Amino acid sequence: MRFQLNKTQLNLTQSSPLHLLHHQLRDFLTGRLWLRNQSFLRSETIDQQIKLGYVEVIPGIQLISTTNHLFSKEKWQCNRCRNINQHFFARFHCAKCEQTCVYCRHCINMGRVSSCTQLIKWIGPPKKIVTKGNTFIWEGTFTPQQEKASVELIESVRLSKDHLTHAVCGAGKTEILFPAIAECLKSHKRVCVATPRTDVVLELAPRIQKVFPQTFVQALYGGAEVDKRYSQLIIATTHQLYRFEEAFDVVIVDEADAFPYTFDQTLQEAVQKAKKLEAPILYVTATPSDELKNRIKKRKGGSSFIPRRYHTHPLPVPRFDSLFSYQKKLTKGKIPQKLKQWVCDRLEKEEPFLVFFPTIELMEKSVGLFQQLHPAIQAVHAEDSDRKEKVLLLRQSNIPGLLTTTILERGITIPRVQVAVVGSESAIFNKSALIQIGGRVGRSADHPSGDLVFFHHGITLEMDEARREIVKLNELEVIQ
Amino acid sequence: MMHCYLCSAPLRHQLTWKLLFTSMPEPVVCEKCLRKFERIQDSEQKYEDVIALYHYNEAMHDYLHQFKFGQDVVLAKVFRSDIATYLKNSSATIVPIPMHPLKKKERTFAQVDELLRVASITYTHCLEKMTTQNQATKSKLEREQSEQFFSLKEDCQIEHIDYLLVDDIVTTGTTLKHATTLLMDAGARKVTSFALIQG
Repeated sequence: MRFQLNKTQLNLTQSSPLHLLHHQLRDFLTGRLWLRNQSFLRSETIDQQIKLGYVEVIPGIQLISTTNHLFSKEKWQCNRCRNINQHFFARFHCAKCEQTCVYCRHCINMGRVSSCTQLIKWIGPPKKIVTKGNTFIWEGTFTPQQEKASVELIESVRLSKDHLTHAVCGAGKTEILFPAIAECLKSHKRVCVATPRTDVVLELAPRIQKVFPQTFVQALYGGAEVDKRYSQLIIATTHQLYRFEEAFDVVIVDEADAFPYTFDQTLQEAVQKAKKLEAPILYVTATPSDELKNRIKKRKGGSSFIPRRYHTHPLPVPRFDSLFSYQKKLTKGKIPQKLKQWVCDRLEKEEPFLVFFPTIELMEKSVGLFQQLHPAIQAVHAEDSDRKEKVLLLRQSNIPGLLTTTILERGITIPRVQVAVVGSESAIFNKSALIQIGGRVGRSADHPSGDLVFFHHGITLEMDEARREIVKLNELEVIQ
Repeated sequence: MMHCYLCSAPLRHQLTWKLLFTSMPEPVVCEKCLRKFERIQDSEQKYEDVIALYHYNEAMHDYLHQFKFGQDVVLAKVFRSDIATYLKNSSATIVPIPMHPLKKKERTFAQVDELLRVASITYTHCLEKMTTQNQATKSKLEREQSEQFFSLKEDCQIEHIDYLLVDDIVTTGTTLKHATTLLMDAGARKVTSFALIQG
């Protein structure tokens, strides 16, 4: 089972002397908010630590009173994910306590929190962080703009204030984080790089580990094995932050505008809860929302802006092409002529391509039609367990192209890739989605351009705004 | 607004006359999730005297995992109308396969009882599980050779009537076979079985 630690570790643990258990528990529990019944230690050991005042016990579910101007009423709150949406709570007759219990369905994937379960937290003597020598090894170089952004970021870390790094797709924003992370590690700060997407965690963790070879970097996401050692640098999905409280001195939120972070209030609260009270949040994104920009301004946070890609070539500008009634045609089993031509051209020139679809249904109806053009064309969506493999196949030129939903809008780099969006007028393709999708094209220095076409059934404001923003970014004077 | 218990998508079930005028419970999952479950055809029933409703496909595996091991009790409601349709007119006495009391305490609920309860099916417990051993961790051979793991409840009188055993999943048929033998030996007239899933 995914929540349990491995059995051999467990046996070792039981036979260790008391002070060792104490250290193990401290290392694991520091900053965490953990289900007591998921703990790797025996119940009696935890009782002992509670008695000594090192571990605090918090009820899993709590009744809180909320008051608005008319009524005051009582609500359930989950103390792990802080959900107060009553729809997510379920009651049942519990065979363990032989009474009615309430549990939270919102975070149930991490192990059920109910009114009869307890959360534990470390409140004993804190762990001392020891930093050995210089542990930052990176031999890349910055463009002047990256350099500037990086310095500004370190400045914000030192002053402990929020920061927004707005960097266009392909500006090399992960690299900009490196010196700031190094600064944190050096000054004994605990850092978390959080992102809404598991794919991004999987991509970031090895890159960051490579740069900080002596630091134990822990990657946390749904299904990851939990290591019980203390780690000063954690790369996690924002979901995993439900399991932390007042843990971090700095939180970096990568791809801050990605789904579901912006839609799920509890995820934003999770970031606030996981950091220490005075700790700054550093946001990094290619498409900051106005709300985020305003929040940074209001809190007098720092900001950096990188309008150019690291290879200094301009961003590819989308062209609009009408594809009226594409939905009807695809449903009837015919690929609209223009789209067919576009795919045939890519196949002929042997250029890898991505075709974005607004819905899984439409994509699944179409995939058979595209396979008539080339049998190796594949489709991917969020629930596809072979997603990583398929993207890899495309990158290695083993398949000519992929049909996809917005799931591949960010985080992937495929040299020479050409992109078409089918039904770019659909609501799901908002301005930031379209900019992110466009950001897939021309990322490598060897092939800095490529075709980016929005096939539409009528031009929307979002499409216009996306194009206007890209053109504006390209026209900006570049500081040298 | 209700949300699908499995994928959280908003539920937009059409209000039908049937829903309004019968006591049919409202669905708790969306049609898309429901379509992923595969019904068993009559010709695909693997065991004699056992009626199973669904195949153990990927969607069903995930469902059962979240329900039993994830302890998501409300998921019992997903199949309540299916279960009700099959069992509500049964003239036999319905007997759920029991859990060991310790096991039940650990899980905080007994999944078979819960499936029946939300389908408004009345049931009687007349069996007791004696071992805490888990069937799922054993090999097929081990299961088939295992000794009887049920006993009759002390104050339970097995009459000369029909019984219908209910379990969540039938994999090798051993559990149901043990229970059937026990009831038949105690004087039952006929014992048949029902399982939600056939593994």
